[in-house]
Parts: sequence; C-alpha cells; structure tokens
Amino acid sequence: MSAKVKTMERKGASLAEKIYFIEIFRGMATTFGHFWRNLLDNSKLYVRHYPEVEPEIPVRWRGRHRLTAHEDGTVKCVACFMCQTNCPAGCISIEAGERQDDRAEKMPVKFKIDLLECIYCGYCVEACPLDAIRMDTGIYSVTDYNRESFVLGIDDLLRTPGAFSEEEYKKGGA
Amino acid sequence: MAEMIKLFVNGSEVEVEAGKNLIDAIGAIGIEIPHLCYHPALGADGNCRMCLVGLEEGGPPLVPACKTQAAPGMKVLLNAEHIKKIQHDVLEFQLINHPIDCPVCDQAGECSLQDYYMEYDGQKSRMSEAPVSKSKKLDFGCGVIHDQERCVLCGRCVRFCRQITKTGELGIVNRTDDARVTIFPGRPLDNRYAVNVVDLCPVGAMTSADFRFKQRVWFLKKARGICHGCSKGCNITIDHNREKDQDDLIYRFRPLLNEEINGYFICDEGRLSYKQENENRLTEARRGKTAISLDDAVTTALKEMAKAEKIVLLISPDSSLEQMAAVKSLAEATGAFLSGFSDGYIKKGDGDDYLIQDDKAANRAGLALLAIDSSRENFATALEDAQMLINFNSNLSLSYDSAELEKLIKDKYIIAVTSHDSDFCKMANLAIPAASFTEYRGMIISCDNILQSFDKAIDKNSPPVEISEIAALLGGSLKNSEDQYNALKEVIVSTESFNPDTIPTAGLKLN
Repeated sequence: MSAKVKTMERKGASLAEKIYFIEIFRGMATTFGHFWRNLLDNSKLYVRHYPEVEPEIPVRWRGRHRLTAHEDGTVKCVACFMCQTNCPAGCISIEAGERQDDRAEKMPVKFKIDLLECIYCGYCVEACPLDAIRMDTGIYSVTDYNRESFVLGIDDLLRTPGAFSEEEYKKGGA
Repeated sequence: MAEMIKLFVNGSEVEVEAGKNLIDAIGAIGIEIPHLCYHPALGADGNCRMCLVGLEEGGPPLVPACKTQAAPGMKVLLNAEHIKKIQHDVLEFQLINHPIDCPVCDQAGECSLQDYYMEYDGQKSRMSEAPVSKSKKLDFGCGVIHDQERCVLCGRCVRFCRQITKTGELGIVNRTDDARVTIFPGRPLDNRYAVNVVDLCPVGAMTSADFRFKQRVWFLKKARGICHGCSKGCNITIDHNREKDQDDLIYRFRPLLNEEINGYFICDEGRLSYKQENENRLTEARRGKTAISLDDAVTTALKEMAKAEKIVLLISPDSSLEQMAAVKSLAEATGAFLSGFSDGYIKKGDGDDYLIQDDKAANRAGLALLAIDSSRENFATALEDAQMLINFNSNLSLSYDSAELEKLIKDKYIIAVTSHDSDFCKMANLAIPAASFTEYRGMIISCDNILQSFDKAIDKNSPPVEISEIAALLGGSLKNSEDQYNALKEVIVSTESFNPDTIPTAGLKLN
C-alpha cells in the first residue's frame, strides 16, 4: 500500500522573504488591518460571543448524561450494571431493587453519576442494552459552586430531556 | 492416591483417575466436558444431553460422559465436527424458550448456559414463535425464588431435595415445553439446606431472595473462609466487595468443596451468618459512653488492671487457636483466671446428622487442646472474688439472661474486647473493638477434630485489631504469630509434623 504523499512548498526561501523586514511590515499590515476593522465595528470580530452566543452542538456530541423513560414515564433502565461495569472512570454507582411496574423485574433504586469523575467517553451509552442512558442532552457546560451538586441522582438524570428529536438522534449513529 | 489409568482424549494420551465418570476424570486434568444436569454430589441423571461425547472403536459411537466410567485405553472424542454439532444443537433446543433476560438475571456471570452459549453455540435464535411463557418470581420458601422460564429442567434441585435432604419438596410436572419445576400446592421448601439449590442450579432459575439484585457477581471478590456458625467448620467462599466510597462488605457465603467436612453444601443458617459480619460492629473504643482511641483504651485498661487484685479473663470459643494461646499467655503473665465458659453456645437438639451441630462454637476443641477451663461453676466462683472481668468476645448473653448478667458483673470493672456492639458491650466500662473471623488469619479445630487454617478475607477501611494483638498489648507474652505458633506446636499432636504454613486446604486430622 503506497502512502498518500503531498509535497508542501517550503516558504521563506525567496529573496524578498530572506530580507525579512518586508515580511515584518506585511505581518504588521495584517495585524493593524484586524485592529482597525474590529475597532470600528466589533460585530465583525472573528470570535464567538460566548456565553451570549452559544455554539451549535452536533447530535453526536457527548454531553451530560440522562436516563430515558418509556412513554408512560417509567424508567427504561433495568439496573443490569453494564454501564457501571464498562465505565473506565468508575463514576457510576447503581443500587438495584425490585421493579414496581410490570416491566421486567429489576430497576435502579439509586443511580448516581459523579460528573467530576466522568471523562465523557460515552462507554456507558455504548454498553447499555436498552438505550436507557444517553448523552444527548446537549449540555456541554457543567458548572456549579459545590462538589456535592455534581453527583447526579436518578431524578436529575430522568428529568433532563434530550436536545434532539428521535430521528436526528438515530441518524447521528446511535 | 487413587489408581491412575491411561486413555485418549482427541487422540492424545492422558492419565486420569480410575473409578470416575468421564466428566470428572477428564475434568480433573483441565479438559471440560459441558454438562448441565450432572453434579458430582447428585450423581448422573443423563437428561440434558449436553455431555454427549464420541467413542472411537468399542462401544456405541455416542455416550453421555456423565454415565460412562473412564476405562483404560478408551478413545474419547470431544472436538470432532459431529460432537460440536450435537453440543450446538442441544444448546439451541435449550434456548428455544429461554427468556434471555441476562441483564436482570442474578446468575449472569456464573451461568453455565451463558458460558456454554458463548463457547459452543454463539448463533442467533432461529425461532419465529414466541417463547412459551411460564411463571416468574415464584416464592418457593426458605428464601428461594424460582423462575420457571429460565429453567432448563436439569432436575438438580429436585434430586437435591430427594437425595440429600430427603424431604422431596420439589418435582417436575407436565411434559415437553410445558414441563416445569414446582412445589406441591401449599407445601413450600422446608428444610435447613434449601438455599443450596440456588448454588446447584446451573442457570438463573433458582435465585436467593437474600442476594437478589444486591450485586452483579463479577464485582464480587472471592476469598476462602471457614464458617463460624457451628463447630462443623464448613468451608465457604466469602464473596465480598468494596463499593465506591464504602467499606469492604460481605454479600454472601457460598459453600466451598471440602470432601472431608461439608462436601458441596452448607446449611442456610451458616449461609446467612455473613450478615453478622457486616452489621452492628463495634468500630470505636469506648470508655463508658465516650469514644476514645485504641491507645487510650489500652492505657486505661492497663491502669485498671494494675488496680485490680483478681482478674478473670473470658475467651470466646469462636476464637482462633492463636488468640486462645495469646490470651492464655496474658492470663499467665497477670495471674488472672482464664475461662472459656460458653455453655450458652450449645443448643441442645438443634443439630442433625448431616452438617448442623448442637454446639454453635467454632473452636471448642481448641479450648480443650489448650486446657482452658470452661465449667460454669469455676467461672462463677472466680468472678465472685474478682474485681475485674476482661471478656474476649464471648457472648455471655447466650448463657445468662440480662438480669442474671447484671447481677453477675455488678461492682466489677468490665472490659469488653469485642467485635460486635452487643448488650454486654454496652454494659462494659471499657469497650475495645476487635476483628471478627473474616478479618484475621487463624486456625480452628472442628468438632471432628480437624484442624483448619483460614486467611484474612476482608480488609476494612479501618481494620480492627485482632484479639491476640490486644492480649499482647495488655501484657501477654506471645507478641507475634511466631510466638503463638511455637506455643501451639507444643500442644498440637498430629500424625504429620505440624507447621502452620503447610496445613492442607482439606484440613489436618488431629489424633
């Protein structure tokens, strides 16, 4: 198999470039060009006005987790512990119990994710046999004032809706 | 050593033990023949057809390995195409109606059907019909929960109840895909070994109500241990796990094979005794009601011991030989009276002729071996004159009711060196936490005079100190395990020379 070779032109070899001062002035011209343009009209800035302007999150972005529910609102998770087993950071801890609704036998009584330990690798989503855990909330910024609030419980995880429609999510490769 | 014979497996010659069937004989040298219904303790039944193997020349071409004795010169075929096809097809039949609910099944991870599917089948179901639905989550009593859909009808549980406990509560009713294991109406499992069917069940049809949904089995760490529930000394596997941000906890005891003592089984009471290892533990030393450090507690104890003229030491009959030797040396050093009084540990008539013993003390034979007096009169008289009682983890509440106990220890300085925060511990002037039997290494002697050693299994976040160490801190002369072994060497008489490091796992029969 032959490697794909792209020959790059080596810059800085011509006489004008070797003189050096010409290049300095050309560089300064670019810098001052930006300076005057931004000074006169700062809507033309080449940066995103975050947090006023938020980035567009693609469907496959691994955002903060959520637990999905059936249409009747019961949790899809059956507490099989696949996500906890697969988690390389060990940030998931589940406590299983007897299921109260008619679906299956088992459900999580507690489901905790420590977001400070999570490395957002998405292995939990990959491991889930029931599509019960997803990272499609579109939440990319997880901030708070104390450590305790970074440990999400089952209610927090169930409360957050997905940021995308089912079709979009499926198309994203899930 | 059993007689060895030579036979051929897949064309290569191997040496196996004579007098066994093919599964056991070839299994012993590490070649597995898949089987569901056969269990060494229950004998061959031949109903699952998983163990069919080929025989080249002589005899029928296909035989069930569980029912075929290993014979010299036998040519066993395991990897031929037609054998693989049989295993594959048998599994496909087994899985026709299997619910495949591995994610919610407690057996997942230690399930024969799961393992065999990965090894011998590995294909998707070809069934277009819906699986037959049967009853799930049936309470069979004695903490056994049955799922008829997962059942492969191997009949191990049925045979266990007929052959081992001889109670016969279980049976298989109906035929073909309607066959199911069940109890007689209104007559649930009622024997003291019932939960063994959970271990016997090769799939997740029988699950333990106690362990249900507590842990996935692959999280559990396994350690060998000896049950301290009675004097039988059954071998157990201690399944424990340290959950995130928590302490090392035991989740279940399971029987561990020891042909000399308990075979493949343990009683239900012993199995559930793991709970006591987790619950109601004394974690901090206490003077009266205030928590103090261990150093302070030892200093206080030494001060009070110096004041007391006569001291009585009481040692638990559950203690290891090392601990008994260490406490005995403390008694000799301080001139105290040492008692192993523990009449309350004996429950007359509770034992049976199988595993359960009347005597609930794990190491009473050790008391006798070290010549520790354990009569009630001597203990009571000695305590009357004494000003101080140091109780090394003996449960006096078993021998006296609370009024008697209060009268007994009135006006005496009481030191409780105890693993559990018992009633007695609450009455004590000074309480010192001690390790329980899963947390130390030691030796005990069973009622059949078999010496067994066991290792430390549980590693607590704040490891409690062992009784022998506390005895040494209080002035005992046996400061470390080497001293203790040397002291024990003088009293242990055995056919083989005694060495604590070379006690066989099956135990050492003492003379």
